[in-house]
Amino acid sequence: MQETVLPGANAPYSTLLYVLIPLLPFLGFLLNGLLNRKLSGTVAGLIGSATVLGSFLISVMLFLNFEYQYTVQLFDWISVGSLQIPFQYQIDQLSLIMLLLVTGVGFLIHVYSIGYMHHDENVGKFFSFLNLFIFSMLLLVMGANFVILFIGWEGVGLCSYLLIGFWNKNTAYNNAAKKAFIINRIGDLGFLLGIFLIYLTFDSVQYAEVFQKASTMQIGTGVITAITLLLFVGAMGKSAQLPLYTWLPDAMAGPTPVSALIHAATMVTAGIYMVLRANVLFTLAPDTLQVVAIVGAATALFAATIGLAQNDIKKVLAYSTVSQLGYMFLALGVMGYSTSLFHVLTHAFFKALMFLGAGSVIHAMSNEQDLRRMGGLRKALPITFLTFLIGCLAISGIPPFSGFFSKDEILAHAFEHNKVLWAMGLLTAFLTAFYMFRLLFLAFFGEFRGTAEQKHHLHESPASMTFPLIVLAVLAAVGGFMGAPMFTGGHHYLAEYLAPIFTYSQRLLPAAFNAEPDHNTELMLMGLSVAAGLLGIILAYVFYVVRAQRPAEEEAQRSGPESLVYHKYYIDELYNAVFTRPIMALSNGLYKFVENGIINPVVGVFGRAVNGGGTLLRYVQTGAVETYLILMVIGIVLILGLNFGRF
Amino acid sequence: MRPKPVGATFALQRLLVLLRSNLTAMLLVLPAANYQPSDYLPILIQFGLALAFVAFAMIVSHLVGPKRNSTVKDASFECGIESVGNARTPISVKYFLTAIVFVLFDVEVIFMYPWAVNFRALGNDGFIAMILFMFFLLAGFAYIIKKGILRWNEA
Amino acid sequence: MTSIILLSIFGILNLFMGFMRSNKVLLPGAMLLLLAVFGANLADWNVVHAPYFNNMLVVDNYTVAFTGIVVLTTIVLLPFSRSYVVAGETNLAEYYALLLFSLVGAVMMIGYNHLIMLFVGIEILSISMYVLAGSSKRDSRSNEAALKYFLMGAFATGILLFGIALLYGATGTFVLSDLAGAVAAPENASLQPMLYIGILMMIIGIGFKVSAAPFHFWTPDVYEGTPTFFTAFMSTVVKTAGFAAFLKLLAVALPGAQGFWLPTIQAMCALTLLLGNVGAAVQTSTKRMLAYSSVSHAGYLLIGLVASRGNLTGDAASGIFFYSLAYSIATIAAFGVLKLVADHRQRDDYAALNGLGKTNPLLAFSMTVAMLSLAGIPLTGGFFGKFFLLAAAAGQGYIGLVVFAVIMSMVGLYYYLRPLIAMYLRPAEEGATPVPVDGIQTATLALLALLSIVLGIVPGFLSGIL
Repeated sequence: MQETVLPGANAPYSTLLYVLIPLLPFLGFLLNGLLNRKLSGTVAGLIGSATVLGSFLISVMLFLNFEYQYTVQLFDWISVGSLQIPFQYQIDQLSLIMLLLVTGVGFLIHVYSIGYMHHDENVGKFFSFLNLFIFSMLLLVMGANFVILFIGWEGVGLCSYLLIGFWNKNTAYNNAAKKAFIINRIGDLGFLLGIFLIYLTFDSVQYAEVFQKASTMQIGTGVITAITLLLFVGAMGKSAQLPLYTWLPDAMAGPTPVSALIHAATMVTAGIYMVLRANVLFTLAPDTLQVVAIVGAATALFAATIGLAQNDIKKVLAYSTVSQLGYMFLALGVMGYSTSLFHVLTHAFFKALMFLGAGSVIHAMSNEQDLRRMGGLRKALPITFLTFLIGCLAISGIPPFSGFFSKDEILAHAFEHNKVLWAMGLLTAFLTAFYMFRLLFLAFFGEFRGTAEQKHHLHESPASMTFPLIVLAVLAAVGGFMGAPMFTGGHHYLAEYLAPIFTYSQRLLPAAFNAEPDHNTELMLMGLSVAAGLLGIILAYVFYVVRAQRPAEEEAQRSGPESLVYHKYYIDELYNAVFTRPIMALSNGLYKFVENGIINPVVGVFGRAVNGGGTLLRYVQTGAVETYLILMVIGIVLILGLNFGRF
Repeated sequence: MRPKPVGATFALQRLLVLLRSNLTAMLLVLPAANYQPSDYLPILIQFGLALAFVAFAMIVSHLVGPKRNSTVKDASFECGIESVGNARTPISVKYFLTAIVFVLFDVEVIFMYPWAVNFRALGNDGFIAMILFMFFLLAGFAYIIKKGILRWNEA
Repeated sequence: MTSIILLSIFGILNLFMGFMRSNKVLLPGAMLLLLAVFGANLADWNVVHAPYFNNMLVVDNYTVAFTGIVVLTTIVLLPFSRSYVVAGETNLAEYYALLLFSLVGAVMMIGYNHLIMLFVGIEILSISMYVLAGSSKRDSRSNEAALKYFLMGAFATGILLFGIALLYGATGTFVLSDLAGAVAAPENASLQPMLYIGILMMIIGIGFKVSAAPFHFWTPDVYEGTPTFFTAFMSTVVKTAGFAAFLKLLAVALPGAQGFWLPTIQAMCALTLLLGNVGAAVQTSTKRMLAYSSVSHAGYLLIGLVASRGNLTGDAASGIFFYSLAYSIATIAAFGVLKLVADHRQRDDYAALNGLGKTNPLLAFSMTVAMLSLAGIPLTGGFFGKFFLLAAAAGQGYIGLVVFAVIMSMVGLYYYLRPLIAMYLRPAEEGATPVPVDGIQTATLALLALLSIVLGIVPGFLSGIL
């Protein structure tokens, strides 16, 4: 079974079952969207959750009964000449895992939203968008060709835009939504060009066909490098990598469940999914992999340093997400494909958990997000605190929590590949532990620093919110054991399960898959990364519990480097100065000189020609039958006359 | 395809060839048979005679007939009543309807003659077809009567 | 064949239903009858029938597909005749009966296998349309339209009949397949001039019916004068049936002479695209713009004829089918909205649509989808219609024609966006009230918009069926 790749194998179940997976959330979208005003919030939430639960159950069934890879053809979608794009689902190990992730975590977050969005006026709208997102995301992971992938890709982008700007009465939120949309467009352009290039090169966009053809090519072929670089540009936009990451922290303007679902657990990992899907192509392009690894490591370190000085609870999590996504790309870049997916999974658990926990805190604090106004919450929110602690331990890489296993594996891969990358990763691990526990200590320890009114309102969240927290906490705690390192006597279920996805890559570069580091090195690496994590935690404890330091207020004086980090390296300002303003100036100039001076006259000539021609026609179109008949006769004579010589 | 004609001379040449070889076949729809152009001579003569007679009659009557003009004789209507007003006054539409209905049934009844002649040969199918035809005709007739087209008195 | 029989019987039935006191039952009645026809027609899909009446008529998938379009178009058109029911129009039953009869003609034009059948079909369709064009008896513009249509139609019919006669003379047969053999056979070389003149005459005759330039001059005047309800029928059913007949003639009977007729069709195609689009751009009346736009769409469909290369199946034929369907759906929606608005606001220029986005969001949405589809914007059926046709033509190497069509469709964008500007960016007049729309019209418009979008998202289930 490991070696069999049967893309054309028949689906074991009726097509309807497969259609239902994305269709159920879509129905939820329609129901909630159409009956927006008529449904009560709870009913809308139940509809939304139930449809996703349905998809989850079907996915579980498929997962449990999975035996071989196959595609499910729904219908012929576009077929023109040689361009054949069927609407097909690809059911294999990768898509099943993503299905489980999207529907499973999606379901939990839907349930959570019932409680979280309880007070909002537009709950129906919220759930309809959320369901539409799940639908698009399912298309994205189930499609059997790049075009369906792209449609899902655009769909999740649209939903992300709609949900970031969900509270659209606030201009800043709308701007955040627009920013997300526009920066993603840049990435999408690269992705789209990549798809075109794939079609030109392989004369197909079907995964099976493209990868089959690619697997016979030489490593380092120029066109493959171009394709993969373009695809990676797409991934950089969607998965918020340097330099296209700036939209993600701003995207925190959306409701917190949205941040958890879209901007932590699922959508932002679409870029990683895409690279995994096209792993053959990336294996063929070592240069691209090098770029991916460097960008990933740089993003991880860079975002982690910004995370050190953020005071908004969600902003910290957002930068941490960017940083963790960097880890995943680092793993991809060093050909730790299954490791990367491993981290996608564990990250989905603990980051969704932490976002939901942050949501619970924000909910309890009456929409306060500033860490400087919190403190001592562990007594009022015991469940939130405990689950959040598990999340922090997991992300800091403390054994035996899930993050330890996946992060350790990434660092091990990086170490084999390039010591500098490994060092960057290790440093990031230290910083991560520090800023996550800084957050934890600031929010849950010490004295309460909010207003009296907020203190009065403090309460643990309702069951619909704590239930997902507990489930995710359990997953974050034990999820790592699906990929325990071999030498510890564990069993790397995940890597084994995923092996068939990488068959072609493995054939191309067997060395990268078979290398087994010796156990001593591995143990040493493990010890180092745990030590880095512990050091970070201890430092945070010393700073924020023992010395009870508080972050400075907005207007406080900061030293040079501190100010640099606090202002996120002035990246937004830099982009503004380097890109936005020159582009505005350029476009103004273009408008003045090129458009008014050149294009308008040219277009004007065209327009005037059309208008003039039309006016001429009006003279002909007199309304008199005689004229028409004469014109027709002239037409007949002309046709006969011009053809005369050919009789 | 044949080569394209070059220049006016060639076109003229083509025209002549065409006229010579194909004109008769073009005008008279005939299957290719052993008719010679000369076989059509009687028809041409007949055609010419007919044309000549018309021309002859018109010219001769013009020359021979007396010409006495007066205002009265040149007036539009000369039946003892002075012509008044516009000739294009509306006429009741019933005249047209009656005329159209007459023509319709008259023409449709013509179909029955060939049918009657071939009654035997057409057999059952022909019979059923004619029954259907009559049914549609009568349905139309019933519709007309119901519409009141034949009621002359009503407005 | 079932559809012809049913349509004839139902037409007569409708005439007699008119004698009932009330008009109310007529509209649902006619819709039900047509639904029955639609179902009966679909039942013939993939069923092999022997040719009917000594090879005069064939019912194959081609016939079923195009018959499906014209019947469906009529079904979704009917709800917009509500205003006649409300106004107590005394001749409503006759209108419906004439529509049904003209559908008989349309089906004969689609399914013919014999030139006489083609002629009879065209005449049944045309004569019904002459009457319906003049159905608004007290309106001089409607009278003018009927008279113009009749005079010029009669002229074109004469040409068509002349063409049929010449073809018969040259080949000795009316049956399409025999014609194909005779046209291709070299021993008929001496009869070629007659044959070729016949072919051109037929192209001219049918070209008139589908309003291809330079025989389109009647179109704007007739479309404008005809009551909107029937204009919608003319610009969809007549055109679809006309193109089905055209394609069949060229692809089944005349593939042997393709080298001869292709340049003529190409020239007509380019000219139609040019005159239709440029003409539409300078109109101020929405209805007249739609009339010119229907000319321009004839141009796009002619591209399909060029690309068909004498094939009744394949990319080009499927493209024509898809395009006709998408075009019909969008056109009915556009005319439907226009009729509702014009009835209420008593005008049909662009300004009549002002502020519709505020007063009637559904009408505005439906018009928007229709315009986008006609303009060929992605995610609408019209886009894939154009895409399939242009792809087929490009595949055959007619790059010049394709480029020209794309340029012309950009001109099209200009005038198709004007209703949208009026609806969404211009304020309604002071005190404008919402246009009254009843339930079934709402449902129909929603259905039409949905169909346009579905065709634009999943064209696969209907593309390539021929």
